[in-house]
Amino acid sequence: MERTVLLAHGGGGVQTQQLIDRVFKAHFANPYFTADDAAVLPMGKERLAFSTDGFIVSPPFFPGGNIGKLSICGTVNDLACMGAEPLWLSCAFVLEEGFALEDLERIAQAMAETAKEAGVALVAGDTKVASKGQVDKVFITTSGIGRILPGIATSGAKACDGDAILVTGDIGRHGAAILLAREEFGIEAQVTSDCAPLWHLVEASLKTCPDIHVIRDATRGGVGTVLYEIAGQSQVGIEITQEDIPVDPQVRGICNMLGLDPLYLACEGRLVLMVPKEHAQDILKSLQALPHGQGAKCIGYVNAHLKPGSVVVETAIGAKTLLPRPTGELLPRIC
Amino acid sequence: MCVGLSAKVVRVDRGTALIDADGARREVSSQLLSDLEPGDYVMVHAGIAIAKISESDTEESSHVLAGILNPKDNQLS
Amino acid sequence: MQDDVASKALSLLKAYAGPPLKIMEVCGTHTHEIFRLGIRQVLPASLTLISGPGCPVCVTPVSYIDEAIYLALEKDVVLTTFGDLLRVPGSEMSLAQARQKGAQVRMVYSPLDALDIARQEEREVVFLSVGFETTVPGECLAVQEAEKRGIANFSLLCANKTMPRAYEALEGSADAFLYPGHVVAISGTQTCKALKDKGVSGVVCGFTAAEILTALACIVHESEKGEPFFVNGYPRVVKDEGNPSAQQLIADTMESCDAEWRGLGVIEGSGLRLAKKFSARDARLRFAIPPQSGKPNPHCRCGEVLKGECLPTDCGVFGRACTPTHPVGACMVSSEGTCAAYFQYGQS
Repeated sequence: MERTVLLAHGGGGVQTQQLIDRVFKAHFANPYFTADDAAVLPMGKERLAFSTDGFIVSPPFFPGGNIGKLSICGTVNDLACMGAEPLWLSCAFVLEEGFALEDLERIAQAMAETAKEAGVALVAGDTKVASKGQVDKVFITTSGIGRILPGIATSGAKACDGDAILVTGDIGRHGAAILLAREEFGIEAQVTSDCAPLWHLVEASLKTCPDIHVIRDATRGGVGTVLYEIAGQSQVGIEITQEDIPVDPQVRGICNMLGLDPLYLACEGRLVLMVPKEHAQDILKSLQALPHGQGAKCIGYVNAHLKPGSVVVETAIGAKTLLPRPTGELLPRIC
Repeated sequence: MCVGLSAKVVRVDRGTALIDADGARREVSSQLLSDLEPGDYVMVHAGIAIAKISESDTEESSHVLAGILNPKDNQLS
Repeated sequence: MQDDVASKALSLLKAYAGPPLKIMEVCGTHTHEIFRLGIRQVLPASLTLISGPGCPVCVTPVSYIDEAIYLALEKDVVLTTFGDLLRVPGSEMSLAQARQKGAQVRMVYSPLDALDIARQEEREVVFLSVGFETTVPGECLAVQEAEKRGIANFSLLCANKTMPRAYEALEGSADAFLYPGHVVAISGTQTCKALKDKGVSGVVCGFTAAEILTALACIVHESEKGEPFFVNGYPRVVKDEGNPSAQQLIADTMESCDAEWRGLGVIEGSGLRLAKKFSARDARLRFAIPPQSGKPNPHCRCGEVLKGECLPTDCGVFGRACTPTHPVGACMVSSEGTCAAYFQYGQS
């Protein structure tokens, strides 16, 4: 392992995991410690989910949202994926000296709107100001508490042979929107971030089938990274069909320009679910009936005949190949 | 090497062309191609339009296949 | 499969009953697409695909990365580069690692974007000019534009390569080549035709599933006749004459030179550098870069892999010390690299 922190350590892939294992797990270990999105804490007869997430995004405003909306969605979605109804959030701001108050207000407004949509209350906060250049405009950390629905126990380790794999909409739009907003590659497209709070989707699918095995939100490393994480945790093989993966044509166009694969572009409003095959159609229907789930699709199945931990893609010509593993920082391939 | 992008020309303006790939757009150099017009399809590499495209890949492939299987019926070399 | 042409080509390939054939692709994007689509798995055992030295990242010598890092760290130059090069290991470090030490390294989509950076930047801006015939015209355009617009702080660090001499160096390593479609789109088909006259067979190949399968089908069909052959399997993009404007631009801006290919060594006349009249924009001269010896890892067998002499899995560091997150050799860096493709797609 490297002796300094690399950008790839924040990419959400293998290297992030190594950093957590080597530095944080080594020092923080206790019975409740989790490397998952949220810890599960017993509280009387209830089980609480507790989660925290830091947000740095450059630029802080992008088509389809801003860092404020993102900071609510991120924590709400981490709780939701544990089957927990999000109840309370706290937020801490680190602001750069000179940041426009008007922009801060737009961020706060987006946070309030998103919290309302998610049914969660912002109950505590903190503000620090750093001198110019010490932070990039604004960093936000949110923490949240949710109540896990009785009888629900989803986990990344519970994917079973035959499970249908669902995604709740077209993939990679957040990553593509950020790429465009950075204006580094001179590309223009009408792509908005998929950034959305997903509790209502989780609630609806659990109501349809309380026995859903895995619920995860695809964030930094995209859907490809989540599939590998689940395949590893559950020690199962996963098979997806290339042509069934929903991708917005413009996102596909951007990926073709830069030699990127949408499976590794970030999402901020997409769930990956592993559900018993016989309930897949009903769950899809309940997802598609909600605003953030209209594009939900089944993209493949868990397959016990494949090597545990592997993700296989059926390609356009009907061949089956391994999906490349995510490898940290996403670099365009051009020459 | 040489990732290529096939895209439609939207606008041509003094050495540059605005190209569209499924709705994603970018200005590229059109200096290597003469008489480009809006509606043409081009192959773009690293921000430069390098060739005009005459047909779809599947039309092309069926012509190429026909060419090798029935060499008398066409002029492809 | 919805695609009728692709399935027709595929059934031709599956029906192949001739002697074993080795087919070499010499374009990294072909390597990438062949793996991504899983083409190897649908071919009969008698057809072997070998990946040749067509990924510019993979054939770039270690010393080139060292030169770039020298510019960034010692000369305070802003480096502009395609993302492809960022993780290629130099003797001491990669550009990504140099960035942590304070090197200014900016990724661009086009050499013309690098010129835009130079226009806005007071410091010296160097574009890392790698790539084959396809990429060179854009790099020439950037230099010509810099002259025209009087942008003085822009130069190129050239490691450009051309294919014709490489085919000669690879003679005998395969029964037929899949010629790189976008290279031939620039240079025209005469090199391929000349190779046919010398007994070397090949088909110009596009990049979609239909095009790759069709080109392979052409190879097996033509091979059965027992004569050297050449087919343009990518006529929607590749014209016999290539792109004359691009050829002229290259001739006006660059000149031929010997070039070091990682693994193949120095091949005479296989490189391009800026012509004398643009020598002020040659970063090697402009910054008087001292010669870099370039120390590749001694266990790395990228060179043999590039020549098709061994498989990635034959290399002692493959998959152990050398992985996509910690590449030892260049073939593991680029997703077009043969080693990366073998690692990622689990071929053995």
